[in-house]
Amino acid sequence: MNGVLLVAGREIRTRVRTKGFIIGLAVTVVLIAGITLLPKLLGGADSYTVGLVSSHRLRVPAAQEGGAPSIEWKEYADEAAARRAVLDEDVDAVLVGDTRVLSKGTFDERLGLLLQSAHREAQISAAGVRIMPLSMEPIGADARYRETRANVAFVLVLILFMLMVQTPTMVAMGVAEEKGSRIVEILLTSVRPWQLLGGKVIGLGAIGLISLVVVLAAGLTTAFASGLAADFPPGLAGIVAGVVVWFVLGYAFFAVLAAMLGSLVSRQEEVGPVLTPVTTTMFVVYGLATYATREPTGLVSTIASFVPPFSAMVMPVRAAAADIPVWQVVISTVVMAAAVAGMVRFAGYIYQRAVLRTGARVRLREVIGSR
Amino acid sequence: MLEIRDLGKTFGAAKRALDGVSFTVRQGEMFGFVGANGAGKTTTMRIVMGLLEADEGEVRWKGGPLDLAGRRRFGYMPEERGLYQKMKVADQIAYFGRLHGLSPAAARGAADELIERLGLAERAGDMVEALSLGNQQRVQLAVALVHDPDVLILDEPFSGLDPLAVDALAEVLRERARGGVPVIFSSHQLDLVERLCDSVGIISGGRMVASGPVGELRASAGRRLRVVVADAEPGWADGLPGELTVESRGRQVLVATDATDEGQRILHAAVRAGRVEHFGVEDPTLAEIFKEAVA
Repeated sequence: MNGVLLVAGREIRTRVRTKGFIIGLAVTVVLIAGITLLPKLLGGADSYTVGLVSSHRLRVPAAQEGGAPSIEWKEYADEAAARRAVLDEDVDAVLVGDTRVLSKGTFDERLGLLLQSAHREAQISAAGVRIMPLSMEPIGADARYRETRANVAFVLVLILFMLMVQTPTMVAMGVAEEKGSRIVEILLTSVRPWQLLGGKVIGLGAIGLISLVVVLAAGLTTAFASGLAADFPPGLAGIVAGVVVWFVLGYAFFAVLAAMLGSLVSRQEEVGPVLTPVTTTMFVVYGLATYATREPTGLVSTIASFVPPFSAMVMPVRAAAADIPVWQVVISTVVMAAAVAGMVRFAGYIYQRAVLRTGARVRLREVIGSR
Repeated sequence: MLEIRDLGKTFGAAKRALDGVSFTVRQGEMFGFVGANGAGKTTTMRIVMGLLEADEGEVRWKGGPLDLAGRRRFGYMPEERGLYQKMKVADQIAYFGRLHGLSPAAARGAADELIERLGLAERAGDMVEALSLGNQQRVQLAVALVHDPDVLILDEPFSGLDPLAVDALAEVLRERARGGVPVIFSSHQLDLVERLCDSVGIISGGRMVASGPVGELRASAGRRLRVVVADAEPGWADGLPGELTVESRGRQVLVATDATDEGQRILHAAVRAGRVEHFGVEDPTLAEIFKEAVA
């Protein structure tokens, strides 16, 4: 175990110290913060500023979660001053003499509806008539958070995909580097092949996990700071924790597979081509997972969420986008864990036999069954 | 004592790389491993280091089979040098010390000492890729020595070194051998092997053709008559036994197997042909033994 930790420690130290890692992480944080803020930026405003010229304030229903925006009132001495304020965009609109509303260029539809209905309300109550508001009662499954959940799921897919492509590629590059430079010959006189492979996968996995945690923290911090978190569905903590577990499983699967393929080649330039089957599979996984953000309970999504390695991304996405029965998540996790165990055995076997065969690219067939 | 016993290895269907390779290296013995390219030196060393599995035979260390725990106390320099290019010199040496079981402090201490000793002090904080090839070779040596190994296995450690570096490396190896460490190294520089080694092994086509203490090998190969004649016509040795080489400025050297009756005949011929600068009966050089053995 000591050998594994030493190898892992070297991987972590040498990566974390590089500028590339720090810059890459910073860029990702900014990207994720941007994506998190996007719905906020594209959505309507939370509050309006409306000027008043010899008018009364209208009674607007108090701002509430996902409800009507609030209005801030500003008094102006005369219409000329108010017009200037509208044109200078100091206010969104101005109410003149309780009868006219002026705004710049065009009219904000939401603000218009709000002012009209408040005005109507005021007129009707002045006439002594009381109207009972309609009582709204949703029935069936709670769909309030459907849109938000789909958005959360979409962001998670993106994060998982980036890390699951990037980190196993780093593993394969590292394996090919050690093989090509023959350092592996010195390493294997003091550690066993599984220790070298395990240390590399764990070390780089830790780097990936650090990135994942930083990115999730950046996303959540932005969401809470901007008030977007108010729209978050309950149980988000569980979803995020699940993502970490699924990352570990998915990463382990792809990383040992990538390490195995990396051990077949002797030059870093050959890593890309030899990894093609893995990257292609990952794009398919990504496609399915993106589809599952919109159709979390559809047949294709449901099946894919049980089949490794697709389940590594599709299941966390389904769990984020919809309410999935616990037994489904448990079974899928167990199946994926079994697939990881199988992949570790198979890839370890190939790696051990291929990593000392330098020269031309080693074919899988040559390795299986040979000594 | 490191014993290599009856190693056999076949690559693919037909290529017999090693066939019954055996030799023994005692504590403090410097063993030179010589042979033509492709004779099986590297294959043997890779089997000793556990990088290849032998089809037959075994490697024994201190009376028992050699395992990973034993090998971790070995120092190894592979034929194809390998270092992490993007790792600092001192960190790299210390890392290998750690892999060989040293504590962090001991590894760091050993790395600093070797860096000082090998004249790399100014480069300790540089990335390996920034070093000249000669300096990279020194780092490679430091990696093999950092854990104060019980045995040293070095594949062509002298190749690519300038004469000063050769002397420095030779001194390091002698020092380790004096400390009781068996040292095995392969080399094509036979004069160097002869000068440095207590014993040698000659391998040819996967078989050991000779091995043992250098003195014994030289004695058992039969003594030679060596005549050096200056200013002689090349034809003087026609009809005489042995092999004639013409050196610079008309110096001619005749080497023949030592047979008393022939000796006097050769001397007479030499005196008639020119000025005899040297006439003597000597042990053969390692190069001569090697050429005969692999012929």
